[in-house]
Amino acid sequence: MRNLLNFLVRYSSWILFIFYVVMSCVLLFNNNPYQQHIYMTSANNIASTIYKTRSNVTSYFHLRDINDDLLKKNGELELEVIALKQKLRNIGDSIYVDTVAKIKPLSQFDFKVAHVINNSIARTHNFITIDKGANDGIKPEMGVLDQNGVVGIVNIVGENASRIISILNPDLRLSCKIKNTNDFGSLVWDGKNCQEAILEELPRHAIVNQGDTIITSGYSAVFPEGIPVGIAINRINEGSDDNCFALRVKLLTDFAKLNAVKIISNDQKDEIRRLEADGRQNK
Amino acid sequence: MNKTIFNLIIIFILLVLAQVVIFNHICLFNVATPLIFIYFILRLPITLSLNWTLTLAFVTGLIVDVFSNTQGLNTLSCTILAMSRKSILHLYFSREDDLTRPEPTIKSLGLGIYIKYLFSSTLLYCLVIFIIDAFTFFNPIMLFARIIFSTLLTFIMILGLDSLLASKNEKRL
Repeated sequence: MRNLLNFLVRYSSWILFIFYVVMSCVLLFNNNPYQQHIYMTSANNIASTIYKTRSNVTSYFHLRDINDDLLKKNGELELEVIALKQKLRNIGDSIYVDTVAKIKPLSQFDFKVAHVINNSIARTHNFITIDKGANDGIKPEMGVLDQNGVVGIVNIVGENASRIISILNPDLRLSCKIKNTNDFGSLVWDGKNCQEAILEELPRHAIVNQGDTIITSGYSAVFPEGIPVGIAINRINEGSDDNCFALRVKLLTDFAKLNAVKIISNDQKDEIRRLEADGRQNK
Repeated sequence: MNKTIFNLIIIFILLVLAQVVIFNHICLFNVATPLIFIYFILRLPITLSLNWTLTLAFVTGLIVDVFSNTQGLNTLSCTILAMSRKSILHLYFSREDDLTRPEPTIKSLGLGIYIKYLFSSTLLYCLVIFIIDAFTFFNPIMLFARIIFSTLLTFIMILGLDSLLASKNEKRL
């Protein structure tokens, strides 16, 4: 017993060292971002308070660029409203407006506005922290957009802050399709450039031109269909798989200048989730 | 002794805050990130027991990890740095009894040895942290550039920080 105690005392620092290394390796290799605890992320109270304070200062930095983006977006939407009004008038001329079925494909979706308080683009696993949390009705797995396109998906929700998995994170795969042809694939980041990502698993026969718009497919309950994600740059020949090819995509969202984001909530998500679960059980 | 502990706590809070609020967001040319908070670990008194050094380093790494959403990355690197700190110092400086002050500073070690100690420790830290990070995407040229330029940037910033703190001490004397 005495020898054992002596041994423990003599090598206490090595034992402590090994203990700490094992602890950090457990943290390190627990890669799944959905299993991380709230206190271990930047969505906890202390971290979010500090980041909010900092964001009070830094949020003014890119306002001019963001304002330009918003004006552009506003102009596009205005044109769209005019075009739709015209279309509606044409329909109204031919048939009674009352008989036209109400088209409300997006009515199941609602959005909330939040501000980005912490953001990274230079790491291999990037996360974003926003200043809204469970108290504001944010729930995990809500989609996040900014004025230009898709930003990411809500991951961990604290009381007054939440953490978002950015598209610039290899743990996030986003179901997307090409706007003109409806060929779909999954978008994933390759870690090289914060302005580009790869659209994988496109069918070999799909025709893609440079400059084609990539939009969300709407196959998951997170994003509605048709939200712009990026613009096709060029095909990459992966070579390994004969049935699929990959596409390099320029992301529309400027992650370096994120400020205000919209969080999309889907009323029917629970229903869809339940149906999917039922289907799996009945198999 | 109390004054030393007080100073260390102040340095700890300032460095960690500066790291998570400012320096984490700096990424020069997409390769160089200053990791200045390791200065706290490097500055801990050499007379401090290894168990305490390890624990403090572990906690420091953990806090920085929580803030920057990098689970376990800084924690592991800090623990390894704390363990090898003494060995690195012994490479250049064998007469520990000759130390005028317990903390490794320019005054107690001399400029040459201090710079060697600082550079080797920074290099070790950057090596560990970027190699672990490269498990996700392995890109040898990028990895090499990240290690070299982050080491240089961190080293220069820590030297600057050191001269700031040293001049403050001298004024007090």
